[in-house]
Amino acid sequence: MIRTPSFAPRLIGGLAFAVMAIFFVIPLLFMIVVSFYQPDPMGFYKEAFVFENYGKFFSSFYYTVSFRSILSSGLGAVIVVALAFPLVLFVSDLSRRLQLFWIILLLSMMCLSEVIIGFAWLILMSESAGLPRLLEWMGLWENPRSLSPSFGAMMIGLVFLGFSIVALILYPSVARRDRSIEEAAVTLGTPPALVFFKVLLPTFRTSLSSVTLTMFVYLLGVFVMPTMLGRPKDWTMTVIISDKALGDANLPLGAALAVVMLIVTIIVLVASALLTRRRGA
Amino acid sequence: MGIAKTLASSGVVLAIAGAAWAEELTVSAWGGFFEETLAAEIYPGFTAETGITVNSIAQPEDSAWMTQLMAAARAGQAPADLSLVVDEVLIRGNEVGLWAELDPANMAGTESLIDGYVKLNDAGNAFAVGALAFYTTFVTNTDYAADAPASWAELWEDKWDGKLGIVTAPNSGLMEVTAETFFGGVEIMETREGLEQVIAKIAELKPQVSLWYRDEGQFQQQLENGELNAGLYYHDVTMLSIWDGLPVASTFPAEGGIVSDAYWVVPRDSENVEAAEKFLDYMSRPETQALMARMMGTTPIVPRDTMDLTEEEFAAVGSDIEPIRVQTHIHLREGDWLETKYQEMIAQ
Repeated sequence: MIRTPSFAPRLIGGLAFAVMAIFFVIPLLFMIVVSFYQPDPMGFYKEAFVFENYGKFFSSFYYTVSFRSILSSGLGAVIVVALAFPLVLFVSDLSRRLQLFWIILLLSMMCLSEVIIGFAWLILMSESAGLPRLLEWMGLWENPRSLSPSFGAMMIGLVFLGFSIVALILYPSVARRDRSIEEAAVTLGTPPALVFFKVLLPTFRTSLSSVTLTMFVYLLGVFVMPTMLGRPKDWTMTVIISDKALGDANLPLGAALAVVMLIVTIIVLVASALLTRRRGA
Repeated sequence: MGIAKTLASSGVVLAIAGAAWAEELTVSAWGGFFEETLAAEIYPGFTAETGITVNSIAQPEDSAWMTQLMAAARAGQAPADLSLVVDEVLIRGNEVGLWAELDPANMAGTESLIDGYVKLNDAGNAFAVGALAFYTTFVTNTDYAADAPASWAELWEDKWDGKLGIVTAPNSGLMEVTAETFFGGVEIMETREGLEQVIAKIAELKPQVSLWYRDEGQFQQQLENGELNAGLYYHDVTMLSIWDGLPVASTFPAEGGIVSDAYWVVPRDSENVEAAEKFLDYMSRPETQALMARMMGTTPIVPRDTMDLTEEEFAAVGSDIEPIRVQTHIHLREGDWLETKYQEMIAQ
């Protein structure tokens, strides 16, 4: 058999690389360069090489805020996956037609803009029109209060936002899984209720942890939910960065904070990758 | 950056179009009601008089717009021939030479403006002309707070049921209000110790504030439906809600409303400076100022006796109480220090 020249794949690979370089690496490099510039409150910024912007990260409350961001996106990611995985298992056992219905539903959830989702939840949780009013009407809540802004409201927003993404990532592998393993486990005496923990969770451990990490990084960058549904105490680094860069037109500080967040994210990702590998070995 | 580039390239297209037709001006103003009303009610008179068509575009929030103008200027482009900016953007832009110089001789109308509204640079040339003034006041939902507040101090009282809405940015005027109400004047803001005292006083509001807002739409919606009972908001927009029959009120407390000025600037790379000067001449006239007051609820910046506004019309857009002015020079001087202190106070 004649081997086909491997030119085409390389060309495609090279193109993808070029696109990455232009649209990802160059802006990233530009951001790193700007993070060393000298901000000028009277003007804009001066081209310079100072560490002042990075120094501010440690001298102030940015420290606490980044910790808070990591906690809330981590928690959000775990909740999303914990909710989406059972749903996907459930959906994968339905008839073709119903599966299609769920897929379309999840896809359309993905089409909604963050702002629309945020506003919808805002109304749902408001005391004048939403859930609190409904509970009052049912006689369950005497003096209803708005449920947002709160940490819980923000979490609901984050989970809603990530849910369809996680479900759609997990769906193909879950739908095609080898069901005979579950049957074998049941035949060999595993109580059906425990199949989920003893068989399904271990089988999908790798994909579940990688999708959790993906979600973690995704939620770290969400801006609308913390500002709309969260209290100031819940504002994440993304909010602070955009306040600095856009609100105060202090691009160097915004860029420096973004670079620090990038490094922190990479550390968290590498650490969890190492941890899962060690556990797997 | 992406938006800036798109805007910058549309600037090129517009500049080319401008050269071909010669008599077209691109004017940007804050998106939404402001820009729409200017385009629908105010610019047509200018076009009828001069034959210059106005292409009205919406601009984003001040600092974001400044960032875009700055990026466009680096590329030698002007996203608009004229732009409506607050004094902070005006000063910062002037510092880095972002604005074109204007000749007051070509803008006779500007003579009717109150003194100080034609901004001169160090060389004595004009670089900005006052456009309008607007107030930020103590707004309330009348279903929950029937009586109009008499003093800003009522903001600190225990009666809002945790339902206040306050702006997140430190230059909203709240710092000046606090200084006037509790510290005998804005002089306390001259030192950092003084600023810290003012911020500490504002921190006392925290248990009462359920919304620290960036997005005006969210505040307005929640005030109108009673989710919020009171807060700081624009007087002009609140007046529109009142005229729509919504249960809201805008009050000038005894210490005064917060006044902010907006100016017209011509970005340095605009090729239509002459037409822009004609525009500024038109916009500065008492008739135009009065029309803007009626149509948009903005406060005129020409002496009151030069306009034909009735007592009632004037009362709707301003107040005779001496206003509180945002101390822009302090906010600029203390820059990042102040912004971080303030944000820390809110978010910690």
